Amino acid sequence: MNPLDAGAEPTNPLGIDGIEFIEFATPQPQALGALLQMMGFAAIARHRSREVMLYRQGPMNIVVNADTQSLPASDGAAPKVSLSAMALRVADSAFAWKRALGLGAWPIPTRASAMELNIPGIHGVGDSLIYFVDRYKDLSIYDVDFVRLPGADAHPPAVAGLHFFGIVQTVEDGRTADWIDFYRTLLSFSVLPGGQYFGILPKGTLMESPCHSFYLQLIEPPPGAEDIDWDERLLRIGLGAPDIHAATQALHERGIVFIDHGAVQTTERGALTQIYPGGVTFELVVSHLADAAQGRSAARSEPHEAASQHGKAAIHASPIGSGA
Amino acid sequence: MDLHRFGMDTITLAGPLEAKLRAMRAAGFTQVMLSARDVVGHPDGDDAAVTAVRNSGLRVTGFQVLRDFEGLSGHLHAYKVDVAKSMLQMCHALGSRVLLACSSTSTHAEPDIDLVVADLRKLALLAVPLGIRIAYEALSWGRSVNQYQQAWQIVERADRSNLGIGIDSFHILATGAKLDDLVDVDAQKIFLVQLADFMWNEVPSFEDRINTARHFRVFPGEGVHATDMISLVRALDAMGYEGDYSFEVFNDDYVQLPLVTVAERARQSVQWLAQQLPQRGVPMRRELRAAPSTRLR
Repeated sequence: MNPLDAGAEPTNPLGIDGIEFIEFATPQPQALGALLQMMGFAAIARHRSREVMLYRQGPMNIVVNADTQSLPASDGAAPKVSLSAMALRVADSAFAWKRALGLGAWPIPTRASAMELNIPGIHGVGDSLIYFVDRYKDLSIYDVDFVRLPGADAHPPAVAGLHFFGIVQTVEDGRTADWIDFYRTLLSFSVLPGGQYFGILPKGTLMESPCHSFYLQLIEPPPGAEDIDWDERLLRIGLGAPDIHAATQALHERGIVFIDHGAVQTTERGALTQIYPGGVTFELVVSHLADAAQGRSAARSEPHEAASQHGKAAIHASPIGSGA
Repeated sequence: MDLHRFGMDTITLAGPLEAKLRAMRAAGFTQVMLSARDVVGHPDGDDAAVTAVRNSGLRVTGFQVLRDFEGLSGHLHAYKVDVAKSMLQMCHALGSRVLLACSSTSTHAEPDIDLVVADLRKLALLAVPLGIRIAYEALSWGRSVNQYQQAWQIVERADRSNLGIGIDSFHILATGAKLDDLVDVDAQKIFLVQLADFMWNEVPSFEDRINTARHFRVFPGEGVHATDMISLVRALDAMGYEGDYSFEVFNDDYVQLPLVTVAERARQSVQWLAQQLPQRGVPMRRELRAAPSTRLR
């Protein structure tokens, strides 16, 4: 059928094109930074006005936010690391934000300082946020809001081909359908047929991004778990790898410990790290997305001269992504 | 059918919120149906009202009421979305998992069903991160939606997991709506049932209905529509409704009687209702569950 036929629903009206960055919030950024470095990420740049650091490997950007205003209220318990935001690459972030609000999303207040980008966003699950980013091809948001660390390689290669694969979200008992409505309506994610899973934790409901490059896994509490803490939140990220054995070996050599017993031990399908301080775990999933991720990575590595032709050269006076 | 499935409505009682909550508990109720006025009218402010509810040990049946939300456009729509957001935030703060939204009476609202469906989808989406379900109720004087069958058609068409209907026996009795059509309704999509009878046999005009609804409601078993009331509750029971009931009894006399007297009448009404239903095991009671934590507060 011709997609331009009258009445055809666009499958990706926002032009979603993967994940630009994932943000963690923590009052102990050094500890999380050290863990990320063991996972193969390198510190690249520091935010101009807030205690926020950018880490990168291959096609993945992770932002570690220790800005006190961004942290969830402490309840006096040990500080937790929270998965606080996902930033989606979209064709037009202003359009994406307005459309989301029109459909019933809650806007977040802007916090940009002078000469900083206002990245539009909406509230997601729990305390988390969803950002819309449209500067990711020939110009990056980090060029504006971040200052590159002296001597840092702007494009550290990925360990064993790692790339973003998905995010796991906890959902209250009986609320999966509500969250399916949320992601389907706002972001055009679609539910994969029952029984189709990736990795070693085949639970819950999988939703696929309209660009087919990213998954959300919604999990309700297991039966008989009435007494456990099951707040709705983003729980962990899943990283894709073309070869799980090679990836776990490389990460093991960097000091990462994988669970090697019980139902979640490493197989060729995937692996799960131990729980690190703050409650952080990483899941590895054997991935068919590697080629696509590498393709995007290559696109990001192109020099920034193209952007200059748009008359925006001043914006990346201290570019992170240009290798200058 | 037992007391645990019933919430007393704060609007039935006079006095401060804390006294209402105490009277309900003393009568054996474990739930309370709250109104926005309980929160914003508290002499010590919103937070004190929230604390009183949370300390009461009563589960919140639901929170009311969002009015005239759907079918508006332009600045009126934007205004109502803001109102809805505040209602949702209060609802969440109180630990209520249901927000009651009544069909519009506004002459500014379009009777365009596509617009109504779109607006209710938007309301439902706003409620998702807060863990709230929307119970859309047909007011018997609603401008274009005034029968439960119409509310159900709209909810069915909107097709959102956290959007269902609220049923208020008053409006069904007032309009003489046929119960036969309840078979078309999915029992899982009835998010709240409010029960009240009244003293007049007929309320043909909108004006009659509004006046009666706001001043002359009584508890089930006290009014003149006992037979129809029993038929309704039996029909809901037979179709598998396992959710909560509340007593939506607006009555000018009850707000000048001692709270304990009115709460006792409510308790007797539950007993009366229980006698009308076939005896069966106590239904599964939905446990008290805290609302999901979110930054939208």
